[in-house]
Amino acid sequence: MNEQSSPVLEISSLSAGYGRFDVVRDIGLSVGKGEAVALLGPNGAGKTTVLRAIMGLVKQRRGLIRIGDTDVSDLPTHRIARGLAAIAPEGRRLFLDQSVEDNLLLGALHLRHDRTRVERLLTSVYDLFPVLRNYRHRLSSFLSGGEQQMVAIGRMLMSDPEIMLLDEPSVALSPVAVDIVVKAMLELRKRGASLLLVEQRIDVATRVCDRLYVMAHGEIVEEMTPEIVRSGGMSILNKYLG
Amino acid sequence: MLQFLLSGIAIGSIYGLIGMALAISFYVTRIINFAQGQLMMVTVMITAELVSSGYPVCLAAAAGLVSSCVIGILSYLIAVRPILLSNRSSFGWLVSTLGFAVIVENAAAYIWGPTSQAFPPILNNISVPIGSAVLTGQQLLSIVAATILAAGFEIVRRHTLFGKLGMATAADPEMASAIGANTTVVAIVAFAVSAAFAGIAGLLIGPTTFANPYLGDTFGTYGFIAMMIGGGTERPIAAMFGGLVLGVCAEGANGLINSQASDWFPFIVLVVILIVSPKGLFSASNPLFRPRRPAAASR
Repeated sequence: MNEQSSPVLEISSLSAGYGRFDVVRDIGLSVGKGEAVALLGPNGAGKTTVLRAIMGLVKQRRGLIRIGDTDVSDLPTHRIARGLAAIAPEGRRLFLDQSVEDNLLLGALHLRHDRTRVERLLTSVYDLFPVLRNYRHRLSSFLSGGEQQMVAIGRMLMSDPEIMLLDEPSVALSPVAVDIVVKAMLELRKRGASLLLVEQRIDVATRVCDRLYVMAHGEIVEEMTPEIVRSGGMSILNKYLG
Repeated sequence: MLQFLLSGIAIGSIYGLIGMALAISFYVTRIINFAQGQLMMVTVMITAELVSSGYPVCLAAAAGLVSSCVIGILSYLIAVRPILLSNRSSFGWLVSTLGFAVIVENAAAYIWGPTSQAFPPILNNISVPIGSAVLTGQQLLSIVAATILAAGFEIVRRHTLFGKLGMATAADPEMASAIGANTTVVAIVAFAVSAAFAGIAGLLIGPTTFANPYLGDTFGTYGFIAMMIGGGTERPIAAMFGGLVLGVCAEGANGLINSQASDWFPFIVLVVILIVSPKGLFSASNPLFRPRRPAAASR
């Protein structure tokens, strides 16, 4: 976290999991205002579980999760989703029987009484992904994987959250689509957004983020900057990522 | 033949409304509320009771509908939600909703007795000739009311934010909560709306069947068949079309085979249709009703 920035997301001693087993144990991390932070790690390291725990989608969670001034540790998901955090989940999970614009407007559910703000957010999404403006009345099931990812990111933006959570936005996309998604994340950074990005691609994480956490076996094992990665830290990452 | 067709459409409208009631709660929660027929019965019994006590029919019907909605919400809170909270993929609701149905039915039989009571005729005394056939005013009212309700539901589902939220909850409840939807409230509204649909079906059929605590068994079963024939598990309005098919088949069987044929013929129709089209005749997976991919040139 930058010295000057106040943390918009602060997690300490977080353990979370499913059934009787903790998938992540004693996690601590923070994301500053306007900062982008990546969680790297191999499959099964617990990266997605951290994002799900932040959103309240994991029932079994202990420890402190604070977004801005709000302790969200015991808040239900729908309360967290009302302007505190928003997620572009793995696999996109769009509402496929609804149009692109309906998916986007559903993202702004908690702002439905503020039409001006919703219109402004919708315009900002279409500015970020101009292709979606042309497809706004199209069923989202008829979009390509890259276009669906744009809608997922747009839906996340529509709730105007304090922290945006992106779960492997580059997975299963063509190189061209990955480039569009990376450029969109960089544009979000310019707009001052705070991002927590789960990634397996080191190149994507280092292009977008200020800091990288490395997870393995449910724990954070390293914290580094893209500069360290570029100046020889890759061998450390490869040790964990294989 | 025209008489069978029109009578079939009239009774099919009632089956369709109950089928839609089952389908609406299933659509949002993936739960079949086996107490749906009993929710219909509650409206009929309370309306009959209040009218016999001297209240106007409109007021009595409104009170009956509100009672159905309240009991419908209770059925969700008591028989469904605790099961889903403990294990979302469990099938415990099969037994719990059936148990709720038995309790409501027996409570009604305890309060009002097991025999039928008078129900206000509403428009049952009026005859309306249509070509060579004759419908009662009540039958015509059933067709009109079912058409308005089915079309109204579909308009709300597809063109209002709440309808789209219902669609989102139906498609992916976890993601719906991750965009800020309180899925418990959505489910409660769905159960209340479905109880209202069942209750309205009760008001439309009450003048013919009179008020009986065991009314829900028969109509609940026909509503379930309507939902399955139509494919209401994928979109509720398909249950209405299923109800119309069922009604015409049942009336046709009564007229062409014998007067008891409507007791067994619908089950044969159901089995044949499910073999030919397992998800129902009017389901979204039927190629005839599947959304078309836009042409590449328009992209």
